Amino acid sequence: MTTVTAFSAHAFWANETGGHARTVFAAEGIRCASCSRSIERAVRGLPGIEKVNINVATSRVCVDWDASKSQLAQILKAVADAGFKPVPLAGEAAESAFVHERRLALKRIGLAGLGMMQVMMYVFGVYVATPGDMDPAIARYLQYVGMAITTPVLLYSGAPFLLGAWHDLRRRTLGMDVPVAIALVLAYGASVFNTVRGTGQTYFDSVTMFIFFLSAGRFVEMVVRQRSLSISEAVGRSLPSQVTRVTKTGATERVPVRDIIAGDTLLVPKGGVIPVDSTLVEGMARVDESLVTGESKPQRRIAGELLLGGSLTVEGAIRVLAQKDVTSSTLASVVALLERAQGVRPALARAADRMANWFIAGILLIAVIVVVAWMFVDPAKAFPAALAVLVVTCPCALSLATPVAVAAAATRLARSGLLVTRADALERLASVDVVVLDKTGTLTSGGLSIINTTMLGALDSQHARAIAAALERGSSHPIATLFRPFESADILATDLQETDGLGISGRIADQLWRVGRHDFVAALAADVAAPPGDIGVYLGNESGLVAVFALGEDVRPEAFAAVEKLRRLGVWAVIASGDRQEAVDAASASLHIDRAGSRMAPADKVDLVRKLQAEGKRVLAVGDGVNDGPALAVADVSCAMGQGSAIAQAAADFVLLNDALDVVGDGIATARSMLTIIRQNLKWSLVYNLAAVPLAAFNLVPPWLAAIGMSASSLVVVLNARRLAAARRAER
Amino acid sequence: MNILFVLIPLSLVLLGVAVWSLFWAIDTGQFDNLEEASRAWEQDDPPPGP
Repeated sequence: MTTVTAFSAHAFWANETGGHARTVFAAEGIRCASCSRSIERAVRGLPGIEKVNINVATSRVCVDWDASKSQLAQILKAVADAGFKPVPLAGEAAESAFVHERRLALKRIGLAGLGMMQVMMYVFGVYVATPGDMDPAIARYLQYVGMAITTPVLLYSGAPFLLGAWHDLRRRTLGMDVPVAIALVLAYGASVFNTVRGTGQTYFDSVTMFIFFLSAGRFVEMVVRQRSLSISEAVGRSLPSQVTRVTKTGATERVPVRDIIAGDTLLVPKGGVIPVDSTLVEGMARVDESLVTGESKPQRRIAGELLLGGSLTVEGAIRVLAQKDVTSSTLASVVALLERAQGVRPALARAADRMANWFIAGILLIAVIVVVAWMFVDPAKAFPAALAVLVVTCPCALSLATPVAVAAAATRLARSGLLVTRADALERLASVDVVVLDKTGTLTSGGLSIINTTMLGALDSQHARAIAAALERGSSHPIATLFRPFESADILATDLQETDGLGISGRIADQLWRVGRHDFVAALAADVAAPPGDIGVYLGNESGLVAVFALGEDVRPEAFAAVEKLRRLGVWAVIASGDRQEAVDAASASLHIDRAGSRMAPADKVDLVRKLQAEGKRVLAVGDGVNDGPALAVADVSCAMGQGSAIAQAAADFVLLNDALDVVGDGIATARSMLTIIRQNLKWSLVYNLAAVPLAAFNLVPPWLAAIGMSASSLVVVLNARRLAAARRAER
Repeated sequence: MNILFVLIPLSLVLLGVAVWSLFWAIDTGQFDNLEEASRAWEQDDPPPGP
């Protein structure tokens, strides 16, 4: 198979580690639970298969297997033999598969629509003519013309339903297509029979109309599915296929992305994509990381700093040094995470699938009962009533209800940088009522500022700061930058000497001054009486200590909004920090958080989570995934923060790719509206089916109305779920 | 009513032409991206060739 080898190369992220391989791809033609079961059965027939996960809503298949026993090509072939077309998730092949699927669907709708209108016009005359008014020869002629149009419509536009049902029956399962196909074949068969025989009803108009509405409904589902696929698609596709590499001699050459190895120097043009995780060689760059981390503001990076693969350069061409190859880059991890999540079906959806299966069996049984019952009452009505029952019921609404909502919610969160890595995680996130936050990094930016100046001598604080600023002027230490605003033109220091890790000494107006650590400054005056405080920068001269500058971490500006958002959702925030008490108190006071723990070891954080759970709370732990690993594991829901490929290994339910904490609140809100939408969807499809089946059985629903009802019912479910993804845009 | 035996086949031919034109339009990509055309004016013109 040539297609198989074509997509195992670049577009296809097949990870192989230690003989264990995993692949994720889309399979065209998955419509329901029974399709996914037959793919699973086909793949499991191969040796060495460990795990097969299929998500109906996103058409994704995720396979884990022992690479020594089976080949990727064999798996793809097994899927193809089961009647589904494996499609890679990213790259040109995926793109062209999308376009092909879309075009074919449009042609099917087009033919069915044109055919429907024509057949309707021809048979209209037959319907309205009073008996005996129309020449029987003309009536038969019109029926034959209707048949001539309906046949290609059935064979071309109706092919997906007929083939789907055929695949289902061959595998001895009942899929969504089975009742549809039975109705189509029966109605068409009876019409042909009656046309040839010359008496009795024909249903050519109903058949074409049914096919038209069903195809239109499927088309909308397909568009929605392709959209939800498109986020990791966009990530994968954003990579250029070729990049410019600088050779040892200084010349440039064009090479494919997959040939980049760590240590290559690459030239990225303005507005170009940085293909792999790399460091900036020289100067300064502004990069847009929104695709990888969801962070919308361009980030400033200086020489030596890491640039994530998949980010865009905002200004100017830059030279970067590749740190990794394309398969181990952050981008690959993000894609792998997304795909792991989208390849798995949540428990709720599995339950709905089982229900849908029984439902179809029930419908077939009811149809038989309806035929038998009408035979006794009015044999002429038995056939239309049975058709209506088969057509009107909509198991698809039932089995689509959950997966489309989950997919829409996950897509929305992925766009703002919160990745769902477990299928059931969103359900659990909805019920969270306490969030345990790590202070450092989560709430504070990690940047320092002077929060307090304590005077120990007679000097005024402004003068003291100016002296410190004069001493720090030449230093490149991060603390030195904090004093820069206080520099004064009148005070200049000479004989500046920096002692690494201790501080700076210098001479101002014949007085020797020191600024820096307590012991370093105090040593100048042999005065050790002053109390050693916490993090602080001391200033002193030969006659003693003069001032202490207390340093504190800045609370992120977004943290206020994030905590406020949580509060509005009725979720408490609790700080669990390894930091000093004063620092934690300062942060919790400014954020109005009542409960905060300081100097906590990982084990203390676990205890805190357990204690909250004992109080009956459902806990979401947010942490860096390394130090907070144990706490994350104990919590009901966990969210790891961070960058780099380590996140892919984090065993958390969610991964936050940027530091935007308010996304957590957004996630909880989205998870809650997702549950609401799932409940609405399930309720809707139950009510619809319970109302429609009796109406159809008593012959109150003509077959054409049944066709509209069924298609509308599954559209309602899909469009309702789309609201989740759409809401976000409205907010912005 | 014998004219029907001419007119109806004629309408079938017209139907065939309609289906053929629709298929042609779809296959040549007329419906692939309905949003792009409305934004085409925002794009810069391609740089003049050498």
